[in-house]
Amino acid sequence: MADNTSATPGSGSGSGSGSANSLTIKQQREKRRGEKVAALKVKQARAKRNQKLGLAGAIVGGVAVVGLLVGIVVTSATPPVDPATIEIEGLQTFDNIDSVHVQSTVEYEMTPPAGGPHNPSWLNCGTYEEEVPAEYAVHSLEHGAVWVTYDPELVSGADLETLRNAMPNTYMMLSPFTGLDSPVVASAWGAQVALDGVDDPRLGDFIVKYRNSPNVPEPSGLCSQALDGPGRIS
Amino acid sequence: MSDTGNVSGSRASGNASPPAAATAAAQTVSRPRLLVVAALLVLASLVVGVLVGRVTSGSVAPTPTELSAEAGFARDMQVHHGQAVEMALIVRDRSTDPAIRLLALDLATAQTQQQGQMFAWLITWGLPQTGREPEMQWMSRPVIDASAGHDDHAGHTPGEPMPGVASFEQMQELASLTGVEVERYFLELMIVHHLGGVEMAEAVLARSTNPLVTDLAEGMVRAQSKELDYMSELLAERS
Repeated sequence: MADNTSATPGSGSGSGSGSANSLTIKQQREKRRGEKVAALKVKQARAKRNQKLGLAGAIVGGVAVVGLLVGIVVTSATPPVDPATIEIEGLQTFDNIDSVHVQSTVEYEMTPPAGGPHNPSWLNCGTYEEEVPAEYAVHSLEHGAVWVTYDPELVSGADLETLRNAMPNTYMMLSPFTGLDSPVVASAWGAQVALDGVDDPRLGDFIVKYRNSPNVPEPSGLCSQALDGPGRIS
Repeated sequence: MSDTGNVSGSRASGNASPPAAATAAAQTVSRPRLLVVAALLVLASLVVGVLVGRVTSGSVAPTPTELSAEAGFARDMQVHHGQAVEMALIVRDRSTDPAIRLLALDLATAQTQQQGQMFAWLITWGLPQTGREPEMQWMSRPVIDASAGHDDHAGHTPGEPMPGVASFEQMQELASLTGVEVERYFLELMIVHHLGGVEMAEAVLARSTNPLVTDLAEGMVRAQSKELDYMSELLAERS
């Protein structure tokens, strides 16, 4: 209904009074309409532009907010160095190791032993100049110590000093071991890596990954006040 | 009918916009914009929430990282406590004096429990028990607020031994004595050891706001200061 009434004046263009005067009026009307249409177009264009600007602004704002969030998360929590994620090339691991106490000597499946039956007493952690009884050292591995062994034929002098300086003060055993297949071998309970030399970077990785590990049978068990092996110097 | 009406209406729309058409147009314009605004609001409130939560709640302290004072303290204080426990067990084995043996039992059990707490922090924080850098490095880093006076110690010189720890030779010596001699030597070593422990606890208090860490460190300062007085008395009795 409203449509019809409002449309009537405009739709009368083709009907009735065709005089010069009415033509001028018609022209005036056309002109007015043209102006209105032009104004409307400008208005529409402006609205469209504003809409585009608004959208762009919203996207930029959104990205900024996301960036801020990501920034906060990233800066406040640099990724932790979870020991489980430390990859060591050539690492050997051994599962289901027997941890029974025995008084006898033990034939171990790995050289040097990286877990297995062991003496009820453990070896005190420290630096040794002589070979230590494996059945005691293995017990210390069970408590979370790392045992670094070296071939005394290949590692001595300045190299040995480098190796000694690389050892943390506790939960570490360092001793010579004859019959190694490589100059240095690092062992923990259920894990071992053969190293190329005293400055092999995998030594540090291995110590960080396994020393005082919570995954041994008896984490933080004592590594002192039991057996001082021969040739302990620190 | 309605079709025709609409067509004629839209032709005439230069004069008066039909309300229905205008609404439809407005809807098509504002729907994506509305979505964007809504998404923005959600994100903004998230950000505000995270920030407010951080500021107002102590329990959401950020997880300490590999090189933090908290991680350094958790590692080095475990080592420091480990030697105190060892000294206590040695004197408990080699002395018959009830006061000394009780002090040793108290100290060994309390510090072993605290070692366990620090061991568990590192696991919770996803960090190894062994650091990549030399021990005590964290104590050579700047304090949070130098004017707070928490820590008179300028810090730690890298490469020097941990404050208060006994040497290998001193430990061997302790393990060779008996009677009042082992008691006296134990007290001397443990007084120095406790002074170093208090120094380390104060150093982390000057470098951390993590309540888990500061609570334990404050407890160490209190307990070890108290024990220092007691051990001085016991030592005086034996001099």
